[in-house]
Amino acid sequence: MRTHIFLMLLVAGALCVVQPAQAHHAFAAEYDPAKPLTLNGVITKVDWENPHGWLHMDVKDPKGTVQHWTIETAAPSQMSRHGLKKADFVEGMTAVVKGYKSKKDPVLANGRTLVFKDGRTFYIGSVGGPNDGAEPH
Amino acid sequence: MSSIVPAFTWLEGLAWTTALRESPYGYPLIETAHVASIVVFAGLVIMMDLRLVGLAFMPAPLAQIQRRLFPWQMATFVPSTVTGILLFCVDPLRYYRNVLFLAKLAFLVLAGLNALVFHLKTYRRAEGWGEDPQVMAMARLAGVASLLLWSLTIVSGRLIPNNWFK
Repeated sequence: MRTHIFLMLLVAGALCVVQPAQAHHAFAAEYDPAKPLTLNGVITKVDWENPHGWLHMDVKDPKGTVQHWTIETAAPSQMSRHGLKKADFVEGMTAVVKGYKSKKDPVLANGRTLVFKDGRTFYIGSVGGPNDGAEPH
Repeated sequence: MSSIVPAFTWLEGLAWTTALRESPYGYPLIETAHVASIVVFAGLVIMMDLRLVGLAFMPAPLAQIQRRLFPWQMATFVPSTVTGILLFCVDPLRYYRNVLFLAKLAFLVLAGLNALVFHLKTYRRAEGWGEDPQVMAMARLAGVASLLLWSLTIVSGRLIPNNWFK
């Protein structure tokens, strides 16, 4: 009996170790922490939705060609906590987004900070991203 | 199959699915209830499977274990299914195009069929015949299949957000 309890505690302990705080999916599964980027463009659409949202942005590349970027954001509850509201987004407004590139998709990124034209800055990153200081304390 | 897309688009655009999709608390609460009920359900199913395989609760008759566990299995299967359907309705097109979601559904159906066959055939014979070795061999097979299929259902379900086959 004592061995059984010991084994159960061991398994429970092991489960606690291998269960770090994780978002919907791990950042590392989709995005490359070694490829940070800054996108300066026009917000065309916002999907304020669970389990995490999406920003759609038109960004001109160095040659002047417009690219349609999709940026993953945190869930509505997380963004609200950082002061952002769905109504803050107006179609056609310009914004700057800092984040990390997708490992595979050339126009997909994970958003970290969002700066509106008037200078208001918001953290839009999801849980489990790189420890780059973007997340406010 | 693409004829279902308009139906899913309609479902996605309904007021309540939209509200849930954009909700700060509703969605995470349903998601939590989904996982929590699956965890308890799976635990109860594993208890039964271990008895079928012959690894646990051996002194107790199969019928007794079954009678005690079954109501609790159903009491957790229903909320896990209801919450699962709600989560699907929030984003039907995304799930419909997700291979791992379709795999989860397929494993779920197979696990359900396995349980159905066991209840309608093997289990009835086990009750009448006692612990007949031939019946017990079928019960063991049902237990192994159940362990395997429910594990595959849960693993593919967990991997839905990591859709590697876009």
